[in-house]
Amino acid sequence: MSKVVGIDLGTTNSLVAIVRDGRPVVLADESGDKLLPSIVSLGDLDTIYVGREAQRRLLTDPSRTVYSVKRFMGRGIEDVAGESRWFPFTVSGEAGGVVHIALGDRDLTPPEVSGFILRELKRRAEAAFSAEGDFDPEVDRAVITVPAYFNDAQRTATRDAGRLAGLEVLRIINEPTAACLAYGLDQRHQGVIAVYDLGGGTFDISILKVEDGVFQVLSTNGDTHLGGDDVDRLLVELVAADTGLDPEQHRDAVQAVRKAVIQAKWDLSEFDAADIVVDRLPGRDGGYRRRVTRAEFEALVAPIVARTLEPCRRAIEDAGLTASQVDEVVLVGGSTRIPMVRREVERLFGKTPHSDINPDEVVALGAAVQADILVSGRREMLLLDVTPLSLGIETMGGIVSKIILRNSTIPASGSEMFTSFVDNQTAVDIHILQGEREMAVDNRSLGRFKLRGIPPMPAGLPRIQVRFQIDANGILSVHARELRTNIEQSIEVKPSYGLTDEEVERMLIESFEHAQEDVDARMLIEIRNEAETILQATEKTLRRPDFEEIAAARLTSAEVTAIREGLAELAAAMSTADREALRAKSQALNDATKHLAEVMMNWTVQAALAGRTTADVESKGR
Amino acid sequence: MTLGRHGDYFLFFGLPRRLAVNQQDLEQRFRALSRQFHPDYFYNSSSTERLASLERSSYLNDAFRTLRDPIERLEYLLKLEGFAPKEAHESSTQVPPALLEEVFELNEELEAIQEMREGGAPAADVAARLDAARKPIESNLAEHERQVSALMATHDQQWHDGDLAGRHATLEALRALLVERTYLTNLIATVRREVGGDAAAAR
Repeated sequence: MSKVVGIDLGTTNSLVAIVRDGRPVVLADESGDKLLPSIVSLGDLDTIYVGREAQRRLLTDPSRTVYSVKRFMGRGIEDVAGESRWFPFTVSGEAGGVVHIALGDRDLTPPEVSGFILRELKRRAEAAFSAEGDFDPEVDRAVITVPAYFNDAQRTATRDAGRLAGLEVLRIINEPTAACLAYGLDQRHQGVIAVYDLGGGTFDISILKVEDGVFQVLSTNGDTHLGGDDVDRLLVELVAADTGLDPEQHRDAVQAVRKAVIQAKWDLSEFDAADIVVDRLPGRDGGYRRRVTRAEFEALVAPIVARTLEPCRRAIEDAGLTASQVDEVVLVGGSTRIPMVRREVERLFGKTPHSDINPDEVVALGAAVQADILVSGRREMLLLDVTPLSLGIETMGGIVSKIILRNSTIPASGSEMFTSFVDNQTAVDIHILQGEREMAVDNRSLGRFKLRGIPPMPAGLPRIQVRFQIDANGILSVHARELRTNIEQSIEVKPSYGLTDEEVERMLIESFEHAQEDVDARMLIEIRNEAETILQATEKTLRRPDFEEIAAARLTSAEVTAIREGLAELAAAMSTADREALRAKSQALNDATKHLAEVMMNWTVQAALAGRTTADVESKGR
Repeated sequence: MTLGRHGDYFLFFGLPRRLAVNQQDLEQRFRALSRQFHPDYFYNSSSTERLASLERSSYLNDAFRTLRDPIERLEYLLKLEGFAPKEAHESSTQVPPALLEEVFELNEELEAIQEMREGGAPAADVAARLDAARKPIESNLAEHERQVSALMATHDQQWHDGDLAGRHATLEALRALLVERTYLTNLIATVRREVGGDAAAAR
């Protein structure tokens, strides 16, 4: 029997999970990595790289590498114009249409790029099943998560990405709801739960009521363009202001800076200060180094954190509650590791939020649970979600008439009667919109369609009932019927920011043409991944503000030299394709740092005993 | 009023056509019916069954949304029993006769405030007077709420007693009260918006 998986298709990282023996587990790749960086790179001979290899190529071949593609899903060029100058890839498209991303000589749509990420996760899951000795490891169905605040176009784009990867998307579920499902498994968490989900590119807040195994979303709010990416960009801009770096001229340098500021951002969740270190920067001999204190960092990101609080207040109000009536607050998404975020959430809700389940993994775990519910048909748990945005149609004078209100439990339906304005009129134009604003132009255009085949009658006589149905995925379909003749009209909606079925079909064929699997290349990537893990762990220790102090107290100078040399040699080997050298140098660095690892472990324990701040040092598997 | 294929909302939930509803009982029924109809449980079923599940759970969700809110529930019952307000727009634009005098006074007061504002009076004073102007309508609305509650209880008692004529008279009275209530609510919202604007200007 073919398999079904749960997938968290994230802005920064993606994960795949399954339910095994009744418990959800995240699947790791051959190197033991659970997180797949959501990065796609086009190599020579049209080879597609996904994940960490693509991440490395961001530094060496930035113009052929795409990251944060989720920010472009279901969007138009006008939505992303402001930020595209910081991306190394070129974004194009006509106003009011789908965005295109240029990769080398190929021109891809966001669902295609996401499709490559999904295909890699599918492969990862199949490899895991094979390794277990499964005779039929094929994975052909998935539950994929999206931000709760995703609109119809963004959801549809995600479903298209699944199809392009050869996956039947059983269900699109909302990330905060998935997280709540993972938390609710043990039945310990009941009552009103708020899920605060700040990821790489999107922010969601959902308020749920959990009772009798039913997870009912009461309200949701958010911002599909707010997350860790924005924090990174502020830091990159800080460095650019310091150094006069021009993003359009030095795309590779921007990526090196971006990598360095992300490291510093992570460090700042643990320490009171961190250094942004860039080895090489155009026009600067000896590279760049700048110390950022936690206070400086918080002043910088305060506006971003503040932007998450208003949606929280609105969600609480829409749920008909006050903050004190929320029983538990759950944190989801990597950006909730930022201490300031935790502090502000705690202040808003008046209770300590919890994150017992790894905030990077919890969404994928919930997706696996939902996938299991769908295929097993077991009825202990049920998820009832809502549509985040009101749905309406444009009426006379460009005003929106709302048909399904936001926060309506889905599936939901609504209908509207139409008639003709002139005698024998046989068609009516209908414009569908999503959003809360009064005027059509201020809302998201989902699509337009022409209602055809109205029987010729005097004006005002036809009675056409148009039915709007939002399914459990939050995706819209439209049906129409002329009530006097009872004729069902066929409707084809032309999506404003989506692909037509024909376009998806064509892409499906194209992606088959380019699908190729190179075993040798894959082995090299695995070895590089392992080498990079050791490199990063070592670099992270060396970057600690108290490293000199620790080294002086516990290590010999010969040991420190050996570590630094091992690090430099492995770093040099990374740019080669020499598998043997990479393996040997990784082993060497591993040996050289063995004592250091013990020292660090003891240091942490002692510091903890001494009551010093070591906030979740171990839990960071970076 | 055309009914859905699944009977009316009350029937669908297995509830009598009464206006008082036990919220907790309603929620329990909603969860039980969701477990029965939700599309999640029909993935392996035929397409006909899947479609039926989609339709029923949509209907269920619409019904729950209507029944859990006392005023929406009342409006729905009025429609069911043939006491719907004639046209939606009529109720919001035409001043109900019982409110004519009060609305007239309010309009005069609002004009006076407008002159005061144009005369350059401090924004805080304007806001305070707007606040005061709102008070009589607010107490009138509160009085309406009380009357609606009382009539709803009367209706349920008449339903229990099988007093059809009495019930219809009560529903007729409730319809009139509802039209006034909608008008008052809109009026207050309008004044609040003005106050909000002035309060912002005062800061």
